[in-house]
Amino acid sequence: MTASIFLNGLQYLGYILIFPGFLFCFLCGMLLTGIDRKLVARMQKRVGPPILQPFYDFFKLCGKETIVPAAASRTTFLMAPLVGLAALVVIQLFIPIRGFSAFSGMADIIVILYLLLIPALAAILGAAASGSPYAGVGLSREMVTIIACELPLVLVLLAIAKTVGNAMGTGLCFSLSEIARYQVENGSLITKLSMIPAAVAFAMVIPGETGSHPFDTAEAETEICEGMHAEYSGAPLAVFKLSHAVKVLTMTSLFVALFFGGVGTGITAIDGVIVFALCVVATALFISFVHAVTARLKIEQVFKYYWTVVSGLALISLVLAWYGL
Amino acid sequence: MFKNLIAESTAKSPWLFHINSGSCNGCDIELVAVLTPRYDVERLGFKLAGSPRQADIVVVTGPVTKLSLDRVLRTIDQVPDPKCVVTMGSCPQSGNVFKGSYSVCAPLSKYVHVDVDIAGCAPKPEAIIDGLAKATEILKTKRGQM
Amino acid sequence: MNFANMTDYHHFPIYAIMVLFLGAFIIAASGGKPSKNPNNPAGFRAWIALIATAASLCFLIALIRPVMLGGEVIAYWMGSRGISGGYAIGIALEVDALSLFFALLIATAVFVSAVYSIRYMVHDDCVPQYYVLYCLLAGGVLGLVLSGDIFNMFVMVEILTFAAVALTAFRTKVYGALEAAFKYLVVGCMGSTAILTGVIMLYAQYHTLNLAQLASLIPGTMNNATKLAFAFLYIGFSTKAFIVPFHPLAADAHGAAPASISVLISGVLTKSGIYGIMRLTYFLFQTMGLGRMQFMLVFIGSVSMFVCVTMALAQHDFKRLLAYHSISQIGYVLAAYHAMNHTLFKGLLFLAAGAVLHETGTTDLGKLGGLSKKMPHTTVLFLIGAFSISGVPPFNGFASKWMIYQASYQKAVDTGNIGFLLVTVIALVTSTLTLASFVKVSQSVFFGQLPKEYENVKEVPFGMRLAMGILAALCVVTGLFPKSVTALLTEPAAKAAANVGSYITSMGFKTSLPAVEVSFVEAGVWEPINWLLILCIALLAVTIVAVAGKYDRVSETTSENVETKYQLFYGGEENVYSQVGGGDLFWGFKHNWRHYFDFMHKLHSGVVNDYALWAVVALALAIVYMMIAL
Repeated sequence: MTASIFLNGLQYLGYILIFPGFLFCFLCGMLLTGIDRKLVARMQKRVGPPILQPFYDFFKLCGKETIVPAAASRTTFLMAPLVGLAALVVIQLFIPIRGFSAFSGMADIIVILYLLLIPALAAILGAAASGSPYAGVGLSREMVTIIACELPLVLVLLAIAKTVGNAMGTGLCFSLSEIARYQVENGSLITKLSMIPAAVAFAMVIPGETGSHPFDTAEAETEICEGMHAEYSGAPLAVFKLSHAVKVLTMTSLFVALFFGGVGTGITAIDGVIVFALCVVATALFISFVHAVTARLKIEQVFKYYWTVVSGLALISLVLAWYGL
Repeated sequence: MFKNLIAESTAKSPWLFHINSGSCNGCDIELVAVLTPRYDVERLGFKLAGSPRQADIVVVTGPVTKLSLDRVLRTIDQVPDPKCVVTMGSCPQSGNVFKGSYSVCAPLSKYVHVDVDIAGCAPKPEAIIDGLAKATEILKTKRGQM
Repeated sequence: MNFANMTDYHHFPIYAIMVLFLGAFIIAASGGKPSKNPNNPAGFRAWIALIATAASLCFLIALIRPVMLGGEVIAYWMGSRGISGGYAIGIALEVDALSLFFALLIATAVFVSAVYSIRYMVHDDCVPQYYVLYCLLAGGVLGLVLSGDIFNMFVMVEILTFAAVALTAFRTKVYGALEAAFKYLVVGCMGSTAILTGVIMLYAQYHTLNLAQLASLIPGTMNNATKLAFAFLYIGFSTKAFIVPFHPLAADAHGAAPASISVLISGVLTKSGIYGIMRLTYFLFQTMGLGRMQFMLVFIGSVSMFVCVTMALAQHDFKRLLAYHSISQIGYVLAAYHAMNHTLFKGLLFLAAGAVLHETGTTDLGKLGGLSKKMPHTTVLFLIGAFSISGVPPFNGFASKWMIYQASYQKAVDTGNIGFLLVTVIALVTSTLTLASFVKVSQSVFFGQLPKEYENVKEVPFGMRLAMGILAALCVVTGLFPKSVTALLTEPAAKAAANVGSYITSMGFKTSLPAVEVSFVEAGVWEPINWLLILCIALLAVTIVAVAGKYDRVSETTSENVETKYQLFYGGEENVYSQVGGGDLFWGFKHNWRHYFDFMHKLHSGVVNDYALWAVVALALAIVYMMIAL
């Protein structure tokens, strides 16, 4: 009895620390950003950095001196990156990989929507605690970007809840594991007409949520000195860079789980590889390609874009879902 | 093991912070040129950082005018260790054609320890890459001594 | 009922009200001479107020077992004059789970705010009188929610309105306090008059004032006069709850009143209005098209939510910003049972604002900054409140908002009414906007740079931190155990709201309304405890790795003259005070909505005549809606 509890605990600890928790997030997230940087370089006809470049950056930053400015609130300044990273890894635990999910029965898609706020909030509070005016401008832009992304995300998630609920006969379905199960049994959601605009809208949200071009106004290094991270150096900055990498993984794997959940074989190890491959494709299409061909927008343009074009697409999807298509 | 890993990584991921201390913009253009597809220093891990807090190598161009001296020194001071100061072009090394002017404080090495000088007016991209590569080696040594 | 036994819990409701009025009387009788103690100018009177509020809270907590868990409805006739000739003659108290739910909230808020007041009110004059009004206000609200008699409700509304007006104007030195009180007085009196008119119309028709009897008589005898009465009552209670279009009053009142009173205005007064509306809608008039009424409430709630959250984004003053949020959250309350959490976190936030005001003397967002270094405890407590109100997991705001999203979307799907879908979307987006404005407050007040003149600011006294701590702890606990809280408090209240039959019969009247079974089905899943556990493990893992990697070995300075290395990066310039914050932090958002904001700015003229006109227009619209839709 105690042995089985111990083993169970060990298993969950393994989920949290190794797969799909920390180690997996660290390796795959970094790899994704490495691939992203390489792809952008190739699209611009450059050789580009090695794919392992994010790892080098990470370890280099770990070895640098950490300066806490005199104006900063020390504890918040140092804790914010850690909390943000931990919260992101926990989200990753809830995202199913085909049928498999470490802790699926604990949160639904609306909870995920709100959990996604925590890392952003941690970054914002860390920036606020640094006391830098550049960080102040950066956090203002970050918050507006969050508001901008929220409306399309909400509409997309409501559309998904309705579509899956319709198909399963329960009217509504918010549970991520139910959505995953439905897709395993009935094929991916992307095959449904109502879900195509939603998938496009979600794909457009990915660069905004991860803060990549052209929506990286909050971290604009050329105008506001890296914005929120202006005063961060050394290990805390490394953790922020890692968080960014994990966020890329989280957003793309959420995209895959929501719209391509039916792809796979049923063997978790192989499915993991397939899902990661799909994540790479999603990163390439929605982050790298967009990055390579666009220039940074102004913050009010970001907001306008999300609340008109992307929300419009999501709304179309919701209307289609409402009428059961 | 980690010490080695960090030292290796330090050499492979040097981030630049560029300070213009009254330059004619020639060197600045050249610095940007080495980031373009033709020379692409990003393949060596170089990146332009937006804030001195994130930088490893500070690249100073221009003859260090009186007005900018204070700012240059303060910014270099704000870069976390290990760091490397690189002067680019002839101006920060000697004052170049501005030498003797009442408003020029060059050379920079009078005020702060300079690790690498890249000569030329403006230096060739190959020279810049060579200088930066030397700077990364120095960076690695400094990291090893920490 | 056993009247000989004074400890019978059937007496507890009247005790709970009585101790407060008794407290008010004793404090008033003891004269207005301030004591010599500089830390407590009211002397023993503050302790009387504290004891009265604590006793009242204890009496109500003792009622949880029979009413919430046992499902009993306590009917209490004052002076044992009950029903005579089929009509209710005496004055009655009637306590069902809904009443008790609100009463508990009110008593908690009143008690915590009394704890806070002792140290908070040290700089004011006439503090003894403050406690008289304080107890009157508390007693009035408690009397309102426990009353089983509609005329008594009106009496209590009058008591609480006048106490609240006087307390709004209490700090006469504060700019705008008298003006705010006057506005409140004018519109509040219009509201009270509307309630009285409604009561008269009902009395003329049914010859009774007892709520239970009215509830048993009204179904089946519906006519235009009843509808008119309902419209009047509805508008009357709306002014007390400050829902749109009465929101500008709240902003003025909160801005001027002491923070401890803001807690009562937002956590207690508005709840009394909400309680009145709920009592009317679900009990008296439930047969007149409950679906349409519900939709109207939810619609008004959503409008309140959105209008007030955007108004809050445009505010420059901490307390005014909180005031608009207060009403924005009332929108959620109207939509569902968000009331308890709202009282907790809103109280906490107002107390934090009060702490800032107490130490710095201002609540202007443009003048503050960097207080987290001087007031770390207040900052943490404020952040808990801010996270709660913004619906960040795992705090309590999220738990209740999450239920609202589920419920409203479920309702939209079940009824096919697209209006409810809109409500879900508005609720979700409003939540993010709320977060935005609290990011603004934390950046402008607690983080960022510390202005020179606040270099000597200290942490607030322990008594004030204790009051905030109680509320913060409740926020966390109710957030972590939403299911237990639902089972213990909100579910009985919701069932009571649906179950008019037992309300009527336990008072001794007959009804044909069947008992309704209410069940709660949730489409989603959310297990905060497990999530927190995982987060803690994850955080622990990160921290261990980080500490092992010497994450905390940072270089920092302690010297007075900060070396250049530890100065902020200003593009190389020397450091000067430069705080990003204040009113216009999110211009990227506001720019896109500029026409809307211009329009709102013009609309909120601050002229009391305009607001009185709004009240009349709202009444006219309510009447028209009731006549057409019901």
